[in-house]
Amino acid sequence: MPSISHLIEEFIRTFPFFLKPLLLTFELTFASVLVGTVIGLFIALLKVSRFSLAQMIANVYITVIRGTPLIVQIFVLYFGFYKVVDLGQFWSAALALAVHSGAYIAEIFRGAIQSIDKGQMEAGLSLGMSPAQTMRRIILPQALKRSIPPLGNQFILSLKESSLAAFIAMDELFSMARRLSAETFDEMTFFLIVAVYYLVIVMLFTYLVNKLEKRLAKGD
Amino acid sequence: MSGKHEMIRVRNLKKSFGEVEVLKDINLEVNKGEVVVLIGASGSGKSTLIRCINFLEIKNGGEILIEGNSIDPKKDDLSKIRQKVGMVFQHFNLFPHKTVLENVIEAPLIVRKANREEAKKEAMQLLKKVGLEEKANVYPSSLSGGQKQRVAIARALAMKPEIMLFDEPTSALDPELVGEVLETMKQLAKEGMTMIIVTHEMGFAKEVADWVAFMDSGRILELAAPEDIFNSPKEDRTREFLMRVL
Repeated sequence: MPSISHLIEEFIRTFPFFLKPLLLTFELTFASVLVGTVIGLFIALLKVSRFSLAQMIANVYITVIRGTPLIVQIFVLYFGFYKVVDLGQFWSAALALAVHSGAYIAEIFRGAIQSIDKGQMEAGLSLGMSPAQTMRRIILPQALKRSIPPLGNQFILSLKESSLAAFIAMDELFSMARRLSAETFDEMTFFLIVAVYYLVIVMLFTYLVNKLEKRLAKGD
Repeated sequence: MSGKHEMIRVRNLKKSFGEVEVLKDINLEVNKGEVVVLIGASGSGKSTLIRCINFLEIKNGGEILIEGNSIDPKKDDLSKIRQKVGMVFQHFNLFPHKTVLENVIEAPLIVRKANREEAKKEAMQLLKKVGLEEKANVYPSSLSGGQKQRVAIARALAMKPEIMLFDEPTSALDPELVGEVLETMKQLAKEGMTMIIVTHEMGFAKEVADWVAFMDSGRILELAAPEDIFNSPKEDRTREFLMRVL
């Protein structure tokens, strides 16, 4: 076990090396959560629609994506899919993460949409609004608000899962930790250091989500 | 039938939920300016009947005519029909993420594509009418039940409906808040609004209704003027029901 002072020394010494990977981890996470949210919303709307074909498509998507490991999905996109379109490292990883989290985000949105009292849809319809107008103007704004806590959770998961991009040679946080530990044979030190990076980001993010939740709760 | 303008006609209406037959062969006619009150035990089909008239429930048989036109919910534009037929719900169903004013102008803006300023002006007049213009900018969560229901009435009126349906509008209210909602409804009746009202408020029915329909297990058992229903009911079931509630 490395001593605390050694850990701190190494943390400070290698800090400049971690800056670019840190940024890349952020970029990967934000890109994947953003695209994943769009995918998730679309799949959730298919799932709550009246049309059985749409429901089926959503169910197949969720079943396949949730039923296979993320690392396999990343490899399929990076090593397999490039024959069709070469996405490159970043978008292979970001899209795999997005497609993956999209399945979970779809379930978050579906749950939130279905948790809205059905009287809201009826009120919209009774005023002459179409089902789509009522969904967009009445149901979704309320459902999205309810989705924020579980979405924050999903963001944290995506952030940590982005470490898998190291396996397609992306220079994000975990990749840098692996490189430094291979160069110095001081594995424990650098894996602990990278753990601290993730932990601090997650704690910061949790704090921000909590603040956001409190602010949104004011309207209730 | 001279001078009578038929607004709603229900012919041989049938509705089932799964195996349960909730409405069996309902016939009802409502003319312009009439107030029809539906009474009966819970489960007798009153709410289902008015929900069918607004197509929130889709009939299994029979016919619903709005101003003489038979409506096919699969083919006709239900939005157009619902604009003519306003509805007030037991649990208000106000939009909690919108202020009182936003609740009222939502449908005029989105459905009727009304001008925002004009919609606001009309909404303020409606809120004044239900006595809540000073609440225009608050969220529904800060209103009492009676105030919520009056906002819901204003919201429905904003679409300028020709018919108003009330589904137990005072059943979810504390007793001391019932009066203010009934007062608003009486005012509407006086102005000549055509209304179908499901209620347990027998005093209100006596005072305001042109016709009272007593429903029992999916049928309209008796339809008569309020004084006849309340003073000399023809059916035993009607008498039994009234004995229990009066």
